[in-house]
Amino acid sequence: METHAHWAQYTGWVFPNETIIDWTVLLAVYPYLTGLVAGAFTVSSLYQVFGFERLRPVAHLALLTSLSCMLFVPLPLLLHLGQPLNAMNAMITPHLTSAMAMFGFFATFYVVLLMLELWFAYRPFIVEQAQKRTDLLGKVYKLLTLGSYDVSERALAIDKKWVFWLAVIGIPGAHGLHGYVGFLFGSLKSREWWSSDLMPVIFLFSAIISGVSLLIVLYVVTCKLRRVEIDLACLKGMAYTVWAFIMVAFVLEWLEFANIVYKGREGVDMIMEFVTGPLLVPYFVLQFGIGAALPMLWLTYMIWRGTTGRALVVGVTTSASLVLFSVFMMRWNVVIGGQQLSKTGRGLVFYDLPFWGQEGALVAILLTIAPLVVLWILTKVFPPWDDSHGHHGSDGHSHGTPGLAAAH
Amino acid sequence: MSTDTLPSVDARRKFLGKLGLVAAGCAGASLASGTLGAFAPKANAATGPVEVFPSKDYDWTKHKWAFGVDANKCIGCLRCVEACKTENSVPGNPHQFRTWVERYVYLEGETHAHIDSHQDPVNIAASGAPNKYRFANRYQNTKVEKAFFVPKLCNQCENPACVQVCPVGATYQTKDGVVLIDEKHCIGCRYCIQACPYGARYFNEERGAPDKCNWCYHRITRGLQPACVDACPVGARVFGNMQERESPISLFIRNNRVQVLRPEMGNSPKVFYVGIDKEVS
Amino acid sequence: MPKHITRLLMLIGGALVLALVVRWFVIPDSFHRFGHFRANSVIEIAAKERVFQGSAYCSTCHADRHAQWSASNHKSVNCETCHGAAKGHPENGKLPIPTDTVALCTLCHEAMPGRPQTQPQIVVASHGADQQCKTCHNAHAPKIAAGPVKIEGDVAAGRKLATAECASCHGAKGISPNDTWPNLAGQNAAYFVRITSAYKSGDQQDVMMTPLAKALSDQDIRNLAVYYAELSCAEGASTRVDRTAVEAGKSLAKNCAACHGETGIGSNPAWPNFAGQKAGYLINVMKAFRGGLRKDPMMAGVVRGLSDTDINNLAAYYAAQPCQPTKR
Repeated sequence: METHAHWAQYTGWVFPNETIIDWTVLLAVYPYLTGLVAGAFTVSSLYQVFGFERLRPVAHLALLTSLSCMLFVPLPLLLHLGQPLNAMNAMITPHLTSAMAMFGFFATFYVVLLMLELWFAYRPFIVEQAQKRTDLLGKVYKLLTLGSYDVSERALAIDKKWVFWLAVIGIPGAHGLHGYVGFLFGSLKSREWWSSDLMPVIFLFSAIISGVSLLIVLYVVTCKLRRVEIDLACLKGMAYTVWAFIMVAFVLEWLEFANIVYKGREGVDMIMEFVTGPLLVPYFVLQFGIGAALPMLWLTYMIWRGTTGRALVVGVTTSASLVLFSVFMMRWNVVIGGQQLSKTGRGLVFYDLPFWGQEGALVAILLTIAPLVVLWILTKVFPPWDDSHGHHGSDGHSHGTPGLAAAH
Repeated sequence: MSTDTLPSVDARRKFLGKLGLVAAGCAGASLASGTLGAFAPKANAATGPVEVFPSKDYDWTKHKWAFGVDANKCIGCLRCVEACKTENSVPGNPHQFRTWVERYVYLEGETHAHIDSHQDPVNIAASGAPNKYRFANRYQNTKVEKAFFVPKLCNQCENPACVQVCPVGATYQTKDGVVLIDEKHCIGCRYCIQACPYGARYFNEERGAPDKCNWCYHRITRGLQPACVDACPVGARVFGNMQERESPISLFIRNNRVQVLRPEMGNSPKVFYVGIDKEVS
Repeated sequence: MPKHITRLLMLIGGALVLALVVRWFVIPDSFHRFGHFRANSVIEIAAKERVFQGSAYCSTCHADRHAQWSASNHKSVNCETCHGAAKGHPENGKLPIPTDTVALCTLCHEAMPGRPQTQPQIVVASHGADQQCKTCHNAHAPKIAAGPVKIEGDVAAGRKLATAECASCHGAKGISPNDTWPNLAGQNAAYFVRITSAYKSGDQQDVMMTPLAKALSDQDIRNLAVYYAELSCAEGASTRVDRTAVEAGKSLAKNCAACHGETGIGSNPAWPNFAGQKAGYLINVMKAFRGGLRKDPMMAGVVRGLSDTDINNLAAYYAAQPCQPTKR
């Protein structure tokens, strides 16, 4: 009977049930999106919690980006599930020993937290719009006010506190969210390529650099589109963030690989054959070389030389783009690469990525682009732009950025 | 906005307090009833009085199943593989199996075994049909130093990694030691397939759920043997109840030096092997 | 607390309560009964109908066959292994009787590295070649019966008896004077005993041999057997050799090699050697098997498809083969 399974090619000895890659490209897109969520939130928290004033121009954009990506996180999973109509079982009868089940709760908790933080941050804007507008959008704003138009000093002070504490809780929230994704892979003893204590940490640090890099690219692109001057201090602040975290991520990833090679457990021969063969370009050239070492060196150079102006913008944006690419390659190399190494330790399976189909390249690309589309819509409803460059008006609020009060 | 005529702050506080109490009460009540409802034994129409489970003729607390494989005896005829597919409606292709046989061949002068099984194109060609299985006699004209066959199936581990990772409780261990799959509850995430170190599980696209050997649970709960055990013409597969001292499996374990696959994984498999070799894992 | 905060908290609280209530309704009844799974799933799985019925099921209608099978070497091979699962049988009609036994039987019996030596296995090309296994083997009693192998007898007594009773047709030294009567010199003693006893008991019938065999005692037969077995067959070959016939016969003889050896010298003493045997005799015997005058179910099956030309060629081939030296 014809099924739509595509039997994978293989070399060496693999188990008969292994001639298929069960977790497809969508399972690489899913950690990629959750990584962007965590990374974007980190930028926002650096401003809200740690007082990095220079990141003010992107603070709200970061929250909106985090939310847009978060909304799309369940999609690759749903498209992959064999029985998606049963998907709510993960919330109804969650198996607490399963990283996947716990992830569901972390995700729910985090998305609520994110929406709350945004709500509190934008409340004055929402109230103002609810009172001003009479169109459909006005009705939406009215609903969001929950019937309260209190924007007194006291209320706003309380709101500010909420934002702060939500941002504080959100740090372990967002990082736990993505850490669990890493743990999902790292906790499996059945695959030598995945089984590692470092996996949650690696995923987390690469998530952060991907999120910050996305913000860099979005900030530069939106500034260009809005014909607004790029705040170089802000850009440089984000660049520093990427630079710091990418070094850690780089070290961790190398550490993990070195551990595998050094410990030399059963199956290491196949791993070496794999990374020097089919995985050579995706792993060493794309992920480590062009995607990590190059931006790291470039950023180092720019920081050392005090690069500024257009050169800085070009350098930082390009580095950020390379990092975005590298982090996707990392997800691909872990998820797909891990399945290519047979559980026998003596064979390799090959993944044929189709373009069409429910789990093909087209769907993967659309899923990665979709958050940007939603983000664009969100920026219309909740404008995050801080055009005042930190200028404070006489009423104590800055102009332009709805509800963006100074962090401290 | 503001400045509408509101009740006094005190009154508001009292009202909110009452509302809060009601909400808390509702939450508490539903939580309590929900959890109580979950734990209270339910008299289910399918079983009648609750004592004997899963059926009145079979008490799962009176059995602890185990399986034995004597690789010294296996002749690689693959009748077990085909019988299993017939008995359990396993898809008729050479890439999805509940049980399979591996062939290990050491050629003269070589240190590593050539290993093949049913998905090998040479064996597929020799079999003639996707749901028929046969080992091609590819080594008949070579100098073979040592060769043997090893049947494989789900090990029904005592500490199953697959059960641990299932997010919804769709795969679980029964009291008589078998790991079953509840297809109706499964979401089809395939985490269990990733977690199994033995490659025992495969994904059935048509049913949207994974599948694996369950020692023919529908047969063993009726006093029969798994289909593969019945089909084997040479007695390479052994099955029985470890709670009975003289059952075939108890004798097998007692009278032989038995081992399991990948003990270092910590899964405590319950398929015991005799006659396997250094490269079998 | 400001209004919007309290309303927010109530919203969240309400959503939580709603979620719990929905969960309480939606969670399957039997979940958590024995653990983190749906207990009814165990019942559902255990209730599945079995497909294979077991060989005992077959005995209700196929009692004789079942009895034959369960006394044979194949008793460890269940009926359904070769005939398919018996679910729905006989309601849904007959179960297949395997026709391509070469494909079926070689699954277990083809000689293959890795098969333990305790498993009976053959090299297909030299055992029966392209013949179907069922030509010689009954799948329900596959072992081919062999007669007694070691025959004890008195050679001297045999010689005396042979000279008196048998030499007139079969020659003084067991080499027949014409092409029709067979050489006996060097023939397997066990086979001699079997065929002569068959003439004596009436299992085989021959106008000439029957009365002669009936006159012999069992001991006589044994004495004759051991006497003839010792004689040299070297001079027994036919003089006329038709090369083409021999060549043609050679390729046909591959089908006989399993039992009778490549050149007509077999491995089982219960079966005759006929390398160097009289061609005319061989032709008559094969025709007798084919026509049912000589009774042997295995031989009947084997020669059924042979034409007269085939028989001539086979006879010519075997007649041209060197017979083996004297043996007991």
